[in-house]
Amino acid sequence: MATPYRHWEILERSRTGKFLDENDFLPKVFSPTLKKLIKKYDIKYDPKTPCPSDEGMADRIWQAAWDLFRDVGYYNTDSHRIIEIADAEIKEALYMAQGQYTVGGGREARVMKHRSIEDTQPPFCIMSPDITVDEKYHQSMCMAYLKEPLLDGLCGPILEETFGHLIESGGPSEISGCIQHIQNQKMAARLLGRPGVFMVAVGTAEHDSGQIAVSNNEWGVQTTDARLVGSLTEFKTADTLLNRSLHYAQYGSFTGNLTGAIYGGWCGGSEGTAITTVAYSLIGLVIHGAMFNQHFPFHLNYGSNTTRELLWSIAMAGQALSRNSKLLYTSNGFANAGPMTEMLFRETAAHALVSTVTSWQLWEMASTRNKYRNRATPLEARLGCEVGHAVARQGMTREQANEIANRLLAKYENNAADAPMGCEYHECYNAAKAVPTVEHMDMFRRIKDEIAEMGVEFLY
Amino acid sequence: MSLEKLCKLIEDGDAVEAKIVTGELLNKGVDPLKMIDSLTKTMAHVGELFAKLEIFLPEIMLSGEALSAAVDVLAPYLDATGGREVKGKVVLGVVKGDLHEIGKNIVKLILETNGFIVKDLGYNVDPLIFVKEAEAMEADFIASSSLMTTTMPRQLEIIEILKSKGIRDKYKVVIGGAPTSQMWADKIGADLYCYDAKSAPELFSAALAGK
Repeated sequence: MATPYRHWEILERSRTGKFLDENDFLPKVFSPTLKKLIKKYDIKYDPKTPCPSDEGMADRIWQAAWDLFRDVGYYNTDSHRIIEIADAEIKEALYMAQGQYTVGGGREARVMKHRSIEDTQPPFCIMSPDITVDEKYHQSMCMAYLKEPLLDGLCGPILEETFGHLIESGGPSEISGCIQHIQNQKMAARLLGRPGVFMVAVGTAEHDSGQIAVSNNEWGVQTTDARLVGSLTEFKTADTLLNRSLHYAQYGSFTGNLTGAIYGGWCGGSEGTAITTVAYSLIGLVIHGAMFNQHFPFHLNYGSNTTRELLWSIAMAGQALSRNSKLLYTSNGFANAGPMTEMLFRETAAHALVSTVTSWQLWEMASTRNKYRNRATPLEARLGCEVGHAVARQGMTREQANEIANRLLAKYENNAADAPMGCEYHECYNAAKAVPTVEHMDMFRRIKDEIAEMGVEFLY
Repeated sequence: MSLEKLCKLIEDGDAVEAKIVTGELLNKGVDPLKMIDSLTKTMAHVGELFAKLEIFLPEIMLSGEALSAAVDVLAPYLDATGGREVKGKVVLGVVKGDLHEIGKNIVKLILETNGFIVKDLGYNVDPLIFVKEAEAMEADFIASSSLMTTTMPRQLEIIEILKSKGIRDKYKVVIGGAPTSQMWADKIGADLYCYDAKSAPELFSAALAGK
């Protein structure tokens, strides 16, 4: 965590920092600075290597990210002022950051530990559908994920309705929906015999009031759990977000910094996306006191990160972070295709493979561009985490990962724009028992065999 | 000095030079309608490059600024010749409770560079403000964006306010944003689901023509 005084310093700078019209921040400050840094540090994307192993460039990306954060700052849209940070403060926060944390409780407590490049220690595996789900399937889906053996942490599906009422952000229905969300998740964990399992919750809360309403060690989000605080695209925050990080710190739970640098947007291409992703880890640490950073850089048009432009950004950002810090950071997969499609399994495998060998922890797997209700299942997350454990244990190199990633990409990248939507949860899972259908399991095993033939040595 | 050079300046996003060259071309007697036609085609080309992500958002935004600078110089001459064609008037914003505006900003740029007048209401906009601004502007469209599932109901609230005021049929209600869909548009009774920014001008024009 960041040093304890920092929240107050940040709040102060939100009020006293340099004034700037919000309309000028991205086009006149952020993007031109990023463009100059890409040139200064000679960062170049190579489409042939979705999993590169250029450590010199990784170090330059780290320095570019540092400069970006220091030179641009972090914009508060409520006060219209820039929160500026000095080099010494970044250094201090990095020195104070811990390389590992114990999360979750009791028998289910787990250690999330900083990973090196090509580390043989498996990644910490957080599983999440990342999408909304019908109220009637919410607890079933929570249970289905919690049944996954490799799950170290759960971020449950999001509710759109609570007892038949549409949830409206900032309104009473959101408070109710958030309580229903965490209670479904905790009940599912208890029923499955994993009561202390680490949770990142609750995704149903878009407004700070929803998050604050569920902080309760007896029935809600516990202090052994984590909560997320997001950024606005790019490098912007608001009081409703700063409210969260302050509340999380005061409540005593862990904070995760949720960011998705947009490829094609203000970051520009793969180079800018990689730099911005690394810079967001520094923002998470220094501004929000985050224990871990949860990154999902994504493609502006597709809303995914399994195409080669994004795999490259993920791979380079991971190496930059690993070589220059002891931070914790999860790689959140966003696929184009939907559940029970071969494409989704291949996309997930490529994402997990590249992320794992370049030092990330895993957060799998948003499917169907993270857009459609009920379209995600634990089975794609299982495949991603089995790939992650396998490639770590076998000591896979980046060169090997690059070759396999290219073989996987050859099978799906041309379909990114018109990826199949697949099935909804209840069409490929028995929702009553929270288990996959026979047809779904058959496809899982078939694609797993295909990936094994490419060189992934699955453990079972 | 040529029209081709001006088009290149628009493509390169050089607003300062574009403004100067536009004035020079007018002084040379180049037809302003011909100029606006060429500039519109150039911007359409820039839009195509952006749609394929051969260029990125900062570049198309600069092109948009350069186009605006040129159009500002041309405006008095266009007015004298009957004015530039206005394809429709739009109030546009991100709904209450939602602070994500990158998609809305792209839609705004694409619409403006294709002949629509857009009143940008920003983000976190109360449903009633959409309606009041549409009335003030005498808009054709009320377009709202939502990036979060829990802010989508605010799009429905805009329609409900229009109905309560008895003016539902005065406006085409458009919805967009990552979690929205045709299904959601049908469910709440929106007139148009705008699925991406590049299609917006065509979709809006077709809706206005009743297609």
